[in-house]
Amino acid sequence: MIRTAFVATLLCFASLSTVLADPGTIEEKLLSENQAKGINTTPAAPVDDLGFARRICLDLVGRIPTGKEIKTFLAWPENERRQRLIDQYMADKGFADRFSAFFADMLRIRSNQEGGNALLAYVHQAISTDMPYDEMCRRLIATNGKAGRTPEVGFVLGDDADPMALASATAQVFMGIRISCAQCHDHPFDKWTREDFYSVAAFFGKTRRRENNLTRTVYTTEDKMSSVMWPPEDESDAADRKPMKASFPFPYLDESEQLAFIQRFEALREKRNAKSQQTKGPSVDDLLASAGAKTKNRLSGVGRDLLKVSTEAKSDIRGIDINAELYKRSQLRRELAEKITSPRNRYFSRLIVNRLWKELVGAGFVEPVDDFRDNNPASHPETMDYLAEEFVANGFSIRWLVKEIVSSPAYQRSHAARDSDAAERENLEQAFLVTKIRRMKAEAMYDSLVTAGHLFEVKHMAGQNPRLIKQRIRVPVEMSDEESAQQSDADEPEALASNDAAMMAEQNMVASTADYGLEKAIEIDFDAVLAADDTSPMIDSMQKMSRDDIEAMRMAASPTPKPGVKYVTKLVERTVDDNPKFSSAYRMATPAPAGHFLRLFGQPARVDLGDERIENASMRQALLMLNGQLTHQAARVGPLEPVYPMLTGSGADIDKAVQYTYVEILTRKPSSDEITEAIDIIESGADTMTGFADFRWILLNSNEFRFLP
Amino acid sequence: MSGCNDYKMTRRQLMANSAAGATLLGMPINQLIAGSGQDHQAKCENVILFWNGGGMSHLDTWDPKPGRPTQGEFDPIATSASGIQISEIFPTVAKQMHNAALIRSIAGTQGAHARASYNMQTSFLPGPVQHPGIGSVVAHEKEKVGDLPSFITINGQARTASYLGQSCEAYFIANPGDPDPYLKFPAGVTLDQGNKRLERLEKFNSRFNRDTTDPRLSSTSTSIDDAVRLMRSPALKAFELDKIPAKEIERYGDTAFGRGALLSKRLVEQGVRFVQINRGGFDTHGDNFTRMREHGEVMDPALGSLLQDLSESGMLEKTMVIMMSEFGRTPRINDNAGRDHWPKCFSCFMAGGGIKGGTVIGSSDEDGGMPKDNPVNVPDIHATICHALGIDPYKEVYTRQGRPMKLVDDGSAIEGLLA
Repeated sequence: MIRTAFVATLLCFASLSTVLADPGTIEEKLLSENQAKGINTTPAAPVDDLGFARRICLDLVGRIPTGKEIKTFLAWPENERRQRLIDQYMADKGFADRFSAFFADMLRIRSNQEGGNALLAYVHQAISTDMPYDEMCRRLIATNGKAGRTPEVGFVLGDDADPMALASATAQVFMGIRISCAQCHDHPFDKWTREDFYSVAAFFGKTRRRENNLTRTVYTTEDKMSSVMWPPEDESDAADRKPMKASFPFPYLDESEQLAFIQRFEALREKRNAKSQQTKGPSVDDLLASAGAKTKNRLSGVGRDLLKVSTEAKSDIRGIDINAELYKRSQLRRELAEKITSPRNRYFSRLIVNRLWKELVGAGFVEPVDDFRDNNPASHPETMDYLAEEFVANGFSIRWLVKEIVSSPAYQRSHAARDSDAAERENLEQAFLVTKIRRMKAEAMYDSLVTAGHLFEVKHMAGQNPRLIKQRIRVPVEMSDEESAQQSDADEPEALASNDAAMMAEQNMVASTADYGLEKAIEIDFDAVLAADDTSPMIDSMQKMSRDDIEAMRMAASPTPKPGVKYVTKLVERTVDDNPKFSSAYRMATPAPAGHFLRLFGQPARVDLGDERIENASMRQALLMLNGQLTHQAARVGPLEPVYPMLTGSGADIDKAVQYTYVEILTRKPSSDEITEAIDIIESGADTMTGFADFRWILLNSNEFRFLP
Repeated sequence: MSGCNDYKMTRRQLMANSAAGATLLGMPINQLIAGSGQDHQAKCENVILFWNGGGMSHLDTWDPKPGRPTQGEFDPIATSASGIQISEIFPTVAKQMHNAALIRSIAGTQGAHARASYNMQTSFLPGPVQHPGIGSVVAHEKEKVGDLPSFITINGQARTASYLGQSCEAYFIANPGDPDPYLKFPAGVTLDQGNKRLERLEKFNSRFNRDTTDPRLSSTSTSIDDAVRLMRSPALKAFELDKIPAKEIERYGDTAFGRGALLSKRLVEQGVRFVQINRGGFDTHGDNFTRMREHGEVMDPALGSLLQDLSESGMLEKTMVIMMSEFGRTPRINDNAGRDHWPKCFSCFMAGGGIKGGTVIGSSDEDGGMPKDNPVNVPDIHATICHALGIDPYKEVYTRQGRPMKLVDDGSAIEGLLA
């Protein structure tokens, strides 16, 4: 009887969709906030299973699913396959790669800044181990140390440890408060005054960036004598300026207020601390305090007993103490870090919730994502705060937050009807009733092409890809052709190395189109970066140089010819085995140089604050996709990939190959018309392999490939 | 709005812009702007910038000091402009000085390569905001002409466009004469096959997009159309230097620099707005004179022949040729026969596009150490370039943060430099 009554109610209020949502969920909050605004439209149906699989894979591990993954997924029972897939990708090591790119944007991590790669590797490790978000941020804000060796310090060095830049950056990056305008004048459309700005800058006033003249090592430390002075230089005589007192001008939940989510948070932290006390092993804090080669082994527990771990941890702590004399701790910045990352600072949790919501659902509650002010209100403030409070109560766990969002119905909805009116579509998107159409992010696009084309591994036999290389080299006039060819051979390793250095130097500069340079990358080995020890002055000195310095040095360094010897430029040719293989975009020096594939598809320069990813199409993207090596090599069929036996020999079955490829590239099954069309394309090729490459090239270049379902 | 924002908006706005342009045809916009500022017409349409990285000695090039201990090894030579002498390493350029002007009193403030290069190429000092280079500013403000990209950099890097947007970023040619692989189907794909692929792709996309009103979907097709138009453009012939007679190439000096200069001429003929040709090796802390003589052997035929050709074809009237460097070098010759960094006073070479030929702006003191009169600030050079092009240097654009920013950092056009 009760059941019947329930169904009746359901029918009555079918348009009032809150009834359908479980209480205490994102969905319930969202829909009731919509209703309060008079929006009673029923949300769009969930995207179908395969569409979901593609979307979740791109969002959690930053690439499209493989054919094999889809096969497994479809074999799981229907009612649990989505949750199982979420769990699978959350546990995938690609999760940390993909969210490192997210944090690299947010924290403006640049490989070529001082300690940039180490910072990137550190954040990667923090995500891998689910380091609480508040803890990670505290470390970034408060740590002093040497670039590279103390990876967290990369954040402060990214702004050259400049108090003014860091006041702007910390407020905006961690709290979404744009106080940078108040550096020179009171904020034009917010409440922050110049004095507020200076009081935040004062937290950084004693921190200094130092450089060892001999080793060119860069580090940060504290200097008692230095301070941010107030009033500003342009407003007062030098004599009237006094050291500014550091203070935190931003609103804060009162300590006396007993809030359930904070009590839950405190209980959770207490439990965690008790647990780490009990084992007498090092806490996560201790483990990550010194990120060396050992850390990795310790964390994975490879061949280590607990006793040994704790001994090592102790010695590491001693190591920190020794360094402390040089890299003095910043008391002021520790205070600031505590304030910013406190569960009572709503800005802190709201900002990351808002950013991750946008990253996964397509639009922020607040836009731009880092512009929180009274006159820029959130679209769904209660939903945002619900998520923010739960995020805090769950110990600032990024993994918890990501999982909560992707498990919500709002994440899993389908798109608005393609032909819907533009205004109507936008309204539905803003109310989170349909899923906004999103293009793959640059890195996801790159890795998806590599995945679809089986290019992470070689797919051709050795010697199948001979390529004639033409090289222009400068040789002294008297040298014979034979000698010059030899010289070119001998020069190659060096030439390659210097290309790599040039790539590093050219970040935010422009990538060369020569030899398909727009799709190349240098891979960073995160473990090696974290393991780099003190005895590597070369790396230090490279990292301490800004890209401008390196570029200027490169420009300044003359190609010094020997005096008195005439040189001519000669073209030499040789053949190499060019078996294509690409590495992951998530492991490249980052951001890539301007003009590079990743930059053309929206990877930001990460220099300025508020730099968002742009999803627009451009002619240069099209040139890369139509003519570049990635799409070309991904489309070409190699004998070592799974589709090959379906195309040739006794087991050939074109029909099957087409179906297989649709799943592999577009994560869906083709209609019978599409199969007919594909076969037509394949048959009009010069031969089966050529025709099949044409077919795959078209799928890879299609809109359906680049836009998420 | 400029013609250089990002894609999905551009089409409509571009239309609106060109419509506005048409109604003003009787009095082109650039003349209106120029008219409101100084008393000249904006003649310049294209810019060729030679960027000499490392800090080129002003004393051994544009500002010789005969008879002084700072002179060094080179003698001055007379030029086609009466009363103007330049260094003997530029015999060919000397014949073109009646077309060119020199600024001999740049009062720089930056003595480190990176900061000084930033300043010289953007007019701003490095700070929390990344500023765009002058090439991106020109690409942003001047309507695109022809099929080729508006801004091309050769043999090295240009500044990023930063907040001016991706479409104002330079297109990089590593080695002049080398084919650009991204402008044709990849090796192994025949023309016929490639075209068939494009046809099929169009079918797939229109099926997927259906009747979409969503510009995020439809802009892909627009971008592909634009790319294909460029791939099929006859203007691409400008890049093919292998069909040019060897004699012609030799006139420019058979070097990467010479080929770059030759290419730059062909690019501006196709409507490319800004070409930057980069070359390093000017940081002559040691062995300054040997190295500068060699630099002269490379630069002189290229720059001289370029000016001659542009002048003969009439292109020089609307093409500004600039050669500059981040700073000059010390009057004192050090123990290694070198000169060190010297930002306090240095020179710059400009010709065409409205530059008054045979002019010298400012002068340095007897040793070339400090400006003697008419000191010129770095942003003034940028303001002058903008002025010649009919670009308002004080126009405000917005950073991604929404902060208003002028195109040029508070400079004013240099008096007497534009005809």
